[in-house]
Amino acid sequence: MMGRRLRLALFTAVALVQIAVAGGAIVRSELALRTGEAFRFHIQPVDPVDAFRGRYVAIRFAIDRAPVADDLELRPKKRVFVPIEIDADGFAILGQADVDPPASGPYLRLRAGGIYPDEEGNRFVWVTMPFRRYYMDEDLAPKAERAVWGGRRGQREASVSVRVRDGIGVIEELYVDDVPIHQWLAENASESR
Amino acid sequence: MGHLSIRWLLSELPNLEKDGVIDGAAAARIRAHYGESAAFSSSRLAVAVFAVFGALLIGSGVILLVAHNWEHLGRGTRAAISMTPLLVSQIFVGWVVLKRFGSTAWREGSATLLALAVAAALALVDQTYHTGGDLESFLWRWALLLAPLPWLLNSTAVAMIFLAALTWWAGAAKVEGSEVLWLWPVAAAVVPHVIQVLRSDRRGLRAANLQWAIALFVCVAAGVSLENRVPGLWIVVYVGLFALMITLGAVNRRDEEGLWRRPLEAVGITGSVVLWLILSFDEPWRHIGWQHVRTTESFHEVASWVDVLLAVGLPLAAIAVMALLLDRRRHRFQLLWCLSVPLVAVVWPVVAATDSEWIGAVALNLLLFGVGIATIGTGLKTQSLATVNLGMVVVATLVVVRFFDSGFGFILKGLAFILVGIGFLVTNFVLSRRLRATVVEDR
Repeated sequence: MMGRRLRLALFTAVALVQIAVAGGAIVRSELALRTGEAFRFHIQPVDPVDAFRGRYVAIRFAIDRAPVADDLELRPKKRVFVPIEIDADGFAILGQADVDPPASGPYLRLRAGGIYPDEEGNRFVWVTMPFRRYYMDEDLAPKAERAVWGGRRGQREASVSVRVRDGIGVIEELYVDDVPIHQWLAENASESR
Repeated sequence: MGHLSIRWLLSELPNLEKDGVIDGAAAARIRAHYGESAAFSSSRLAVAVFAVFGALLIGSGVILLVAHNWEHLGRGTRAAISMTPLLVSQIFVGWVVLKRFGSTAWREGSATLLALAVAAALALVDQTYHTGGDLESFLWRWALLLAPLPWLLNSTAVAMIFLAALTWWAGAAKVEGSEVLWLWPVAAAVVPHVIQVLRSDRRGLRAANLQWAIALFVCVAAGVSLENRVPGLWIVVYVGLFALMITLGAVNRRDEEGLWRRPLEAVGITGSVVLWLILSFDEPWRHIGWQHVRTTESFHEVASWVDVLLAVGLPLAAIAVMALLLDRRRHRFQLLWCLSVPLVAVVWPVVAATDSEWIGAVALNLLLFGVGIATIGTGLKTQSLATVNLGMVVVATLVVVRFFDSGFGFILKGLAFILVGIGFLVTNFVLSRRLRATVVEDR
């Protein structure tokens, strides 16, 4: 039979791991949000619910693939490093993916899907964005979804701002028509009902 | 001594006293000893059950509060709040380890609270920072953080939560097309706890609960983890699995125990009936075997071999248990229900080689019918109404399924249903009267 001391010591180790996993996520995210570089991505939202974490706006990035060099071979699910570039409208787009992080400039560490050639024969890799959910108050999330899909004049433009540091991106804010979502919902209270 | 044995012993005391086997003083002493201990253990049990349910409710309540999403509190406050339930329940568990580890109620209750506090912490951090990805990634992290707790805190409730989270993860991951090869090694984390429980009280309620959780987990996990490169291999895997459950359950139990204490047999037999009914159709047998190995999709090499390992290992294990541990006379009923193993071992290769799926369907129809009738026979011989009804359910379901399947008209179908129903009622009526008569004779 295990002694009390030993059991307590082992349990303390397990407890510390539990704290480290939950707390580590806080530290990583805070670092990225406080010191990371800010980018804006185009998105397409919908509103589902998660049994544990409540309602969220599911985020589908308008860009979900990155170009790759002709000679790069990747197995699916491997990590790739994708530099972030800015397009003419000031929104973020993905640069050429590689297996090593770029020497300079901001980048994201992403999971690769398969590599395919597009219509012009250029090779690209599907990537899965690590930030795919924007959690919201359970009353506001459905309204936010309707705000984006329910406009009379068709779909409104939606985007998220993401802070990026050392390959880790953390969502900062969700925008509808360039207005932060909470502000938009407050201003358009009647329409979003 | 088990709860049911004690009840039996107490009920025998008046007869023993009357027949002069023991005197009144001895009977009173036995009654006092077992009566008290039975009352004491069942009140302790009730406290433990209430502790676990209380912890479950409180923990789930915290998770629901978290899920509301208190956005206006701001990031810093929410980060602090997310760690609070975790730290509080960790300190609580630490105190229980030091001061109250002998008490099942304290142990199970505090451990359950901690398990849910871990979920709440992960959930609130994910929510605050919009990180953490899909539900499957959340469940995976949760299951991993729970893995050492069942053994370390000797908690069956956490073992059940752990297996549930792991099963849920595997199901969600499989739907997303991800690999779930880690399912088995991670699930093995409950094995030390199983040994712990079986050593301390293998007839107790905790052992029964744990076996229920494991039996249900294995049923789902076997299906989820199959790669299905060779079509139809799942048939062999599941036939072997259910037979193994029935035989292991029979090895482990004593006769007086109720259904809740026989989880392996209950799941094995229920699973067998459902499986055999599915296999009594043509469809599952179509295009199975090595001639139809799937080549168009990409498969995980190791996972494909695990398939083969399970398909060979489970039936062999069942046969080994039958041959070595079961008694041919005492366990006739269990051996009867394991007939599917040799049958499928012959039929599966034949169907695979000849591509004639009707052979499989016909064989399983005959198996259902034969085992159903034989079960009724066993039940009549041992005068067990439950066994007779099990056999009748098998035969009746077979008839019903075949009638829905076939092109007979409504009148014929209707008449068949009525006949099966009458058969049920008459058999039960006659049998219960006969049973009552023998009881009266015995007196």
